[in-house]
Amino acid sequence: MLNKKVVILLFLLLLALNVLLAEKPVEISLWHQMEPSKEPLLKELIAEFEKENPEYKVNALHKGTEELRTGFQTVAAFTNTAPELVYGPSDNLGAFEVMKLSDNQTASIIASLEDVFSEEFLDKFMEQAKFRYQGHIYMIADRLGNHLSLCCNMRLFREVGLDRPPKTMSELIEYGQKLTRDLDGDGTIDQWGFVWNYKEPFWYVPFFGGYGGEVFNENAEPQLDSQAAIDAFQLIIDMRNKYKIIPEECDYDIADNKFKQGRAAMLVNGDWSWNDYIKSDKVDFQLAVLPIIDKTGEYCKPFISATGYSLSSRATGEKLAGAKKLLMFLTSETAQRRFAVQHKSFPSLKTLQSDPIFTEDEVLQISARQIEVGVPMPVIPEMRAAWDAMRPALQNVVAGVMTPAEGAKYQQELTQEKIRSMYEDAGLIETKGQKVMRSVLYLLGIALGIYLCYIFIFKFLKELLGNRNSLVTHNNRFAVLMVMPAALLLFGVVLYPFFYNIVISFSNMSMTNIHSWRIIGIGQYIKVLSEAIFYSTLWKTLVWTIVNVFFHVVGGVFLALLLNRKLPGKPLFRVLLILPWAVPQYIVALTWRGMFMQDSGAINLLLSSIGIDSINWLSDPTLAFIACIITNIWLGIPFMMMIALGGLQSIPHELYEAARIDGAGRWEQLKRITIPMLKPVMVPAITLGIVWTFNNLNVMWLITNGGEPADSTHILVTYVYRAAFNLYRYGYAAAFSMIIFIILAIFSITFMNRSRISEKT
Amino acid sequence: MRNKTTSLQYIMIYLILIMFSVVALYPVLRVVTISLRPGNNLLNESLRIIPEDATFDNFIKLFQEKPFLLWLRNSLLVTSIVTILGVVLASTAGYAFSRYSFPGRKAGLMSLLVTQMFPATMLLLPLYIMIAKLHLVNSMLGLVIMYSATALPFCIWMMKGYYDTIPFSLEESARVDGAGRFRSFVTIMLPLAAPALVITALFSFMTAWNEYIVAAQVMLDENLFTLPVGLKSLQGNMSTEWGMYAAGSLVVSIPVIILFLSLSKWLVSGLTLGSVKG
Repeated sequence: MLNKKVVILLFLLLLALNVLLAEKPVEISLWHQMEPSKEPLLKELIAEFEKENPEYKVNALHKGTEELRTGFQTVAAFTNTAPELVYGPSDNLGAFEVMKLSDNQTASIIASLEDVFSEEFLDKFMEQAKFRYQGHIYMIADRLGNHLSLCCNMRLFREVGLDRPPKTMSELIEYGQKLTRDLDGDGTIDQWGFVWNYKEPFWYVPFFGGYGGEVFNENAEPQLDSQAAIDAFQLIIDMRNKYKIIPEECDYDIADNKFKQGRAAMLVNGDWSWNDYIKSDKVDFQLAVLPIIDKTGEYCKPFISATGYSLSSRATGEKLAGAKKLLMFLTSETAQRRFAVQHKSFPSLKTLQSDPIFTEDEVLQISARQIEVGVPMPVIPEMRAAWDAMRPALQNVVAGVMTPAEGAKYQQELTQEKIRSMYEDAGLIETKGQKVMRSVLYLLGIALGIYLCYIFIFKFLKELLGNRNSLVTHNNRFAVLMVMPAALLLFGVVLYPFFYNIVISFSNMSMTNIHSWRIIGIGQYIKVLSEAIFYSTLWKTLVWTIVNVFFHVVGGVFLALLLNRKLPGKPLFRVLLILPWAVPQYIVALTWRGMFMQDSGAINLLLSSIGIDSINWLSDPTLAFIACIITNIWLGIPFMMMIALGGLQSIPHELYEAARIDGAGRWEQLKRITIPMLKPVMVPAITLGIVWTFNNLNVMWLITNGGEPADSTHILVTYVYRAAFNLYRYGYAAAFSMIIFIILAIFSITFMNRSRISEKT
Repeated sequence: MRNKTTSLQYIMIYLILIMFSVVALYPVLRVVTISLRPGNNLLNESLRIIPEDATFDNFIKLFQEKPFLLWLRNSLLVTSIVTILGVVLASTAGYAFSRYSFPGRKAGLMSLLVTQMFPATMLLLPLYIMIAKLHLVNSMLGLVIMYSATALPFCIWMMKGYYDTIPFSLEESARVDGAGRFRSFVTIMLPLAAPALVITALFSFMTAWNEYIVAAQVMLDENLFTLPVGLKSLQGNMSTEWGMYAAGSLVVSIPVIILFLSLSKWLVSGLTLGSVKG
């Protein structure tokens, strides 16, 4: 009887378990970097996939460029939580391949696809769609391209009697001169012949290639100091200074905007943007292949890359099977066809190349011709170093700081230097002196550990568990109980990352040895401190911090004093004045960037209305720095105002009354009552304000677009972010941050002691 | 009570306040402009605040095409827990730091500051590893813990500084009347410290409300996104949905303004009890 019950129960349990298991589909994660406009189609396709294959559930996640690359690298290299599929540009592959799964240094974090897929499947794709690195296929593209072409607004062409896009560069210049017009006769140009993002090297490459240059030779050595490089620089300068067909200041958003608004006739932009232009009612869109350079007779050669799917090496079993299925579905003919029709993307399947949807679409046909004359973008990790070196060179040449020849030499040398620093970190080994240093460091670490344990066990715990009858310890016990929850939470979160960084800062960890790094002593510190740029950047950071915090505090306290009285309409002013704090920083920072633009920005318009000539804020290192400071002051005042408003409430009115009876004037009252009484509240805020401003990455990065012009506007945090993280120099970056940390610690502890706040009570 | 403010001074004060308000408001109005513009333009040569072809499309699209309400709910949930946690933990810890001397007090105060000094971006790598190892991926709890830890150091210092300005005599008289340690803290100190609590609450709220770097690592499911992460997903590699982005940013700031408006009552009333102490 009993047995029967148990059996039935077990049976039911099994059944329930079965149902539970059956109803729980296998989850497949996909991280992608699809343009926002294409995301709806991706979601549609995924929904269809899930309907066809109910045993799988797909979790698709959009990630930005940097987050996708570094995020995937980290989770795949160190944890088991990596997504099974990654969809992104082909230039990530090199950086993915060098990262290994573990110590044994063979398997990369992405799987080589010829081991996973049948030859028959791989054979369906065009050769350019299978991305190889070090002999293995690591990515299958669902679309080719990401390439630049010439976009023309034929409406503007017809206005000056032209009926087709230019075919050669000399023709482009001639057309450009006709199309650059002052429409209202006020002496300023209203419509430009030609625009593009001429501050970014990606847009420089086509011209450079057209003159016969190549970025890397087959041995991955940079070839940037060539006649082609000089010619291409000269061409850009001539278009602006000699032929006057491009505006004085131009970046991506300006170019895009002018073209969309019908204020520029020709534009160089990539396939991701065309759909927007086709839809715009101010543009009669015509795509054309980038022109032939007259000197060489060659077409301009944009980089051709692709976006596609890679498979994580961590995927196994059911998840791997599901990921394979999903990859096949998303690169299938139906999927590619829909992307081609809706978004003009260039399909990668062989069968689709002769399909009518493709052969009958004019934009896709021209895109195909452009792809034929372009060159594939190198997938090697060295390309990152080249971009980081070409960018400042290009910006320096455009700004007239360097001649084309100097620019070419500079970009070559800088690329070589950056490549060297990418690889030499791993090769750093300790010298004898450093070995001694290391032993000393270890000893110090152990001593510190013992000391902390001693404090914790003998002092802290004793208080907590100590004799309840003693009045003194009882007091302490209450205090410790009050502090404990906050302390536990805080140190639980902070301790691990903090010690991890200290350890890494003494190591040679870099891209090639993320698992097999070794402690090398203080080599990274010496490297940081021996670079001249560290000191000039430190100086700039100090100026940045002091100026900002000074204005934050003065402005904040001043406004708080004004508001701290009976005043009709006070709530309204209070809300208006905290607005800069309330709106997300990212968007307002970009708005400020727009306000600093030379010919359309509000600030120059304001200046010109009081008779000051327009200033090219963002192209001059000092002015760009000032622009950042202005923006950050604006952002920071509301916070200090809030703190000061709170602090002012604790000052009893009687004090002022007494002071007045003593005959103290307003200034005297401010000096003797307000400021000293505000101190306990303001000093911590100022100290932390200093720390936060010192380490404020966002504002600087957004206003200067990552250090423009020519990597000259950096503070320490943006510098280390650019120099070290772009090139995966983990050890170097950790040592750099430790130095930042030590500087800040000294700085703020001195400040606190000077203001005697921690001594109070 | 106060120095008399003459009407000339009033005019001056208003002029200055209006000037500052205009400066504070103008860039925000530009965001409004972007959000009302049809199409997808970050820049424009026109300085008009309300564009000629203004439309609410971007706002409508935001709610129709994106799970914006879901993100809003997630954000409100995380942020309100962080705010409560921040206020509770900072008000207690700050009190201990202000009133008692216990071993490790000075070191504790300093180490609070120290946690803020390390460049946050450099901590991302170990943070990633920690989040994954502790299985905090896709967990609201993970976010709450991270955010509270970020907000606490400032909040504790802030509370401590404010308590320092409140005279001891007030608690002492309560203690003489027989109130316990904790009771006198809750009934006497907390009401007196209302302005500091408001700032603590607002700061904790802002820390959690606008953060996206950590949230983007922790939340790997679109349905669990907080608002800033959701907003970030409108950004493409090359093309960003600027109109929707601006619209979203404005919607995101509304709760902050509401919170501020509702809290500012307490910010003013503050130390009305100050006169009690005589």
